[in-house]
Amino acid sequence: MLMNIGYGHFLVLAALLFAIGTAGVLLRKNVLIIMMSIELMLNAANLTILTFARMHGDLGGHSFAMVVIAVAAAEVAVGLAIVVAIFRGRRHVDVDKMNILKH
Amino acid sequence: MSGNMRARAVTVLATFVGVLALALALVVGSSGSVVTDASAQPGPTAVKPPPRSATPAGKGVSDRDVVTKQAEAGKPAAGKPKTRPGMAIAFWLFAAMSVAGSVFVITRRNLITGVMGMVGTFFALAGLYMLLYAHFLAVIQMLVYAGASMVLFVFVIMILNKPEDEPYATTGKAGKAVAGVAMAYLVYRLASVLLSVDSTVTAPQLAAPAATSQGYDWGSTAAVGWNLFNEYLFPFEAVSILLLVAVVGSIAIARPLKDDDGEVLADEPGAASQGGA
Repeated sequence: MLMNIGYGHFLVLAALLFAIGTAGVLLRKNVLIIMMSIELMLNAANLTILTFARMHGDLGGHSFAMVVIAVAAAEVAVGLAIVVAIFRGRRHVDVDKMNILKH
Repeated sequence: MSGNMRARAVTVLATFVGVLALALALVVGSSGSVVTDASAQPGPTAVKPPPRSATPAGKGVSDRDVVTKQAEAGKPAAGKPKTRPGMAIAFWLFAAMSVAGSVFVITRRNLITGVMGMVGTFFALAGLYMLLYAHFLAVIQMLVYAGASMVLFVFVIMILNKPEDEPYATTGKAGKAVAGVAMAYLVYRLASVLLSVDSTVTAPQLAAPAATSQGYDWGSTAAVGWNLFNEYLFPFEAVSILLLVAVVGSIAIARPLKDDDGEVLADEPGAASQGGA
């Protein structure tokens, strides 16, 4: 198990990273940390995709992972723009205090 | 004071880990002796990639045929099982680095430290991609994530430049119970799916994948590009439109609001929150 690295190792590692990202989204209040945790979850999903692509010898997984990377880049750009716009008006990025739409 | 010093030391450490990961990834990727070169291993070299297929994507072959053939040709070659210590060492190193970096992200109070941990995680993930023969995606990972995304994050952190008062969400007992149950359920679902995957190590898992039917190395830029521009052309074009929309949208969102005379609106603290409060 230690010296024979199989696909299971990669999948378990990806699950671990995904769980850590989920914990970050649930626990932290700073919106930047939450966005980084989302990036982490996307990366864990990418690792799973690439592991299965290797397992089945299908290069479609690589194409899909590239699409995921592009979508993640777009998400970062738009998300950070929203963060800057919110900060400009409110001077904080605490998700617990962002409740305009609630009232 | 000491907290500041500790944060600085942690940041330096994270940077060091990131640089180390980059160097290791480059070594693993360039030499290829760890994973790609089957002949470098001791013992009989039973694993040899089959000769490159002599049937190129000609005129008489339809797209679907070529794709099927490509999928067949890409399957790993069979051979005798054997251990690969280099791959194991690289895997455990990158795995530890990625987990440590991601734990950094969600535990540190300093945002820059979190970004550095994230960069280390991305480099380690690039190394893991190389272990999976995804050379092209490993480089893309480093360029897009560690290069572009994280620089953007650092820019925004510098603009905001505000320390976090309460790093963790404060919820009541009920919220904590619900969150705990939700996390336990997530871990249970992930574990149940992962345990159903056959993870016994066989020789094809360790051998280098065969070249694609076009004669390209599996996972190389040419092979991924061929796949992307033949089978996944529409998603590719859709992503280009998505990126255009994201660029225009982020500029429109982040631009300061101005009235007709060019006066900046809603740039005062609390100006935008007056309607809500």
